Amino acid sequence: MESYLYDEFPDNVCTVHIALFVDVANAAPLRARLVRASTLEGVEGDAEREAVNFAFIDAKLVTSRLHVQTALYQSIIAFTQSALKTKTVHSEVLWSLNPTNNITEALRRFGISDSSTAIVVARVGPQSDRSVIEEQMREVIQGRLVPLDLHNLTDWSAIKKYYKLNTDPVIVAQGQNLNRQRTTIDELVTSFVAMKSVMS
Amino acid sequence: MPSTSLTLLASATLVKQGAEAKVYKSTLHPAPNLASLAPDKVQTDASQPVYVLLKHRFQKNYRHPTLNASLTRSRVAGEARALMKCLRAGVNVPGIRMVDAAEGTLGIEWIEGESVRVVLGGGEDGEEIQDDEQGADADIEPPDLLAVFNVNQNDVMVMIGTEIAKMHLADIIHGDLTTSNMMLRRKRSLLSTTSAENKETELLLIDFGLSYISALVEDKAVDLYVLERAFASTHPDSEPLFALVMQTYAEKSGKDWKAVGRKLDEVRLRGRKRSMVG
Ligand SMILES: Nc1ncnc2c1ncn2[C@@H]1O[C@H](COP(=O)(O)OP(=O)(O)O)[C@@H](O)[C@H]1O
Ligand SMILES: [Mg+2]
Repeated sequence: MESYLYDEFPDNVCTVHIALFVDVANAAPLRARLVRASTLEGVEGDAEREAVNFAFIDAKLVTSRLHVQTALYQSIIAFTQSALKTKTVHSEVLWSLNPTNNITEALRRFGISDSSTAIVVARVGPQSDRSVIEEQMREVIQGRLVPLDLHNLTDWSAIKKYYKLNTDPVIVAQGQNLNRQRTTIDELVTSFVAMKSVMS
Repeated sequence: MPSTSLTLLASATLVKQGAEAKVYKSTLHPAPNLASLAPDKVQTDASQPVYVLLKHRFQKNYRHPTLNASLTRSRVAGEARALMKCLRAGVNVPGIRMVDAAEGTLGIEWIEGESVRVVLGGGEDGEEIQDDEQGADADIEPPDLLAVFNVNQNDVMVMIGTEIAKMHLADIIHGDLTTSNMMLRRKRSLLSTTSAENKETELLLIDFGLSYISALVEDKAVDLYVLERAFASTHPDSEPLFALVMQTYAEKSGKDWKAVGRKLDEVRLRGRKRSMVG
């Protein structure tokens, strides 16, 4: 798990923790748990929401550390300006990653699905004990925590489809050079996430 | 509570104080805390902090505050959209790293390199901040930057012509083409680096603050004319060099060149007449 401390953000959202889990065995029950937590009432509901208080992202749709960091950063800016398009700073991360304004689509595409096997999990919050956060992540995700090497897990054709890159001159020009194409795609989607708030 | 962007700017290094914007170098995502927590000792590749150029359009107090804020917002949005359009069109420009339109801040990939103006011996930009350290070095012979980038002047002209042609083919008008608004850097790639790639130098266009979208031949011709004038004033005896920029532009623009070239002749003529009168 990597932890980032941002001096420029207010205390309640100054820290970002990011981890990558692979060989995830409980995507379907985890997804069901997220759905249930959102509607559960009372003390039990609060506890459940706290337990899953993360952004869960399908790692197939993340191209690099910077890509997901950029989504987190823009989501925190929106949070501090009371300009969230979604309910929480964590769901905002999924919205920030998706190139359209459709919230349901963003959650469906970039959130986890029943078949997800690799998950990027992130927590935005105050400065806190890193071991506690990591333990919470391990409690909800059954999988192997590994270094944040994302590009090997990326589904590049899904990325190209969702971000509508297939006909971009820069991609067409690169033809068969996969390494160069992936570097370019990573740059395009990272830049796109950064400027989504002023996209149109 | 001070805003996000302003706190970020307070710890950044001022690069340039322009008329419309202040430009800073800053880290964006700090180096991570990776201290291993769990018994299985997860190792992570040591990631470097990410440097960005922060361009902050400060509020001009003579304008109406609300109008001011929406103007600032649309300028930031305009510059970000132009960069994005260039990226998609394959024009070499820096990537976008953060946008805080409410505060007028745009974060752009930091280019570790040098402006073409300086590389061609045109000196630093007039508005460049000179701190004491730089001032003391002022008389020392500058290093041969062309050699540092392993290019000659002709290579640079070809790169300029190529990038502008790609930009115009995408109907993007830069609006302020000068050699200060172009930078050279040694190529590197985000995901993988082969040693061969590392030897290459690339030219990037920057400063899209005055850019706009237009398919008009006239706008493209004026864009080129602005660069021609800038070359003449900052780089003496540069006509043959500039001719190579135009030759490359013509080659790369294909069928579009004929109309733009003809229009450029017209624009030059207008320019000369104006300077004879004025
Ligand atoms: N992405 C960048 N990386 C490094 N230096 C940059 C970058 N963008 C601009 N600069 C430097 O900052 C100067 C001012 O930036 P620019 O965008 O041209 O603003 P201005 O509108 O004030 O001219 C440039 O001339 C260049 O020297
Ligand atoms: Mg400039």
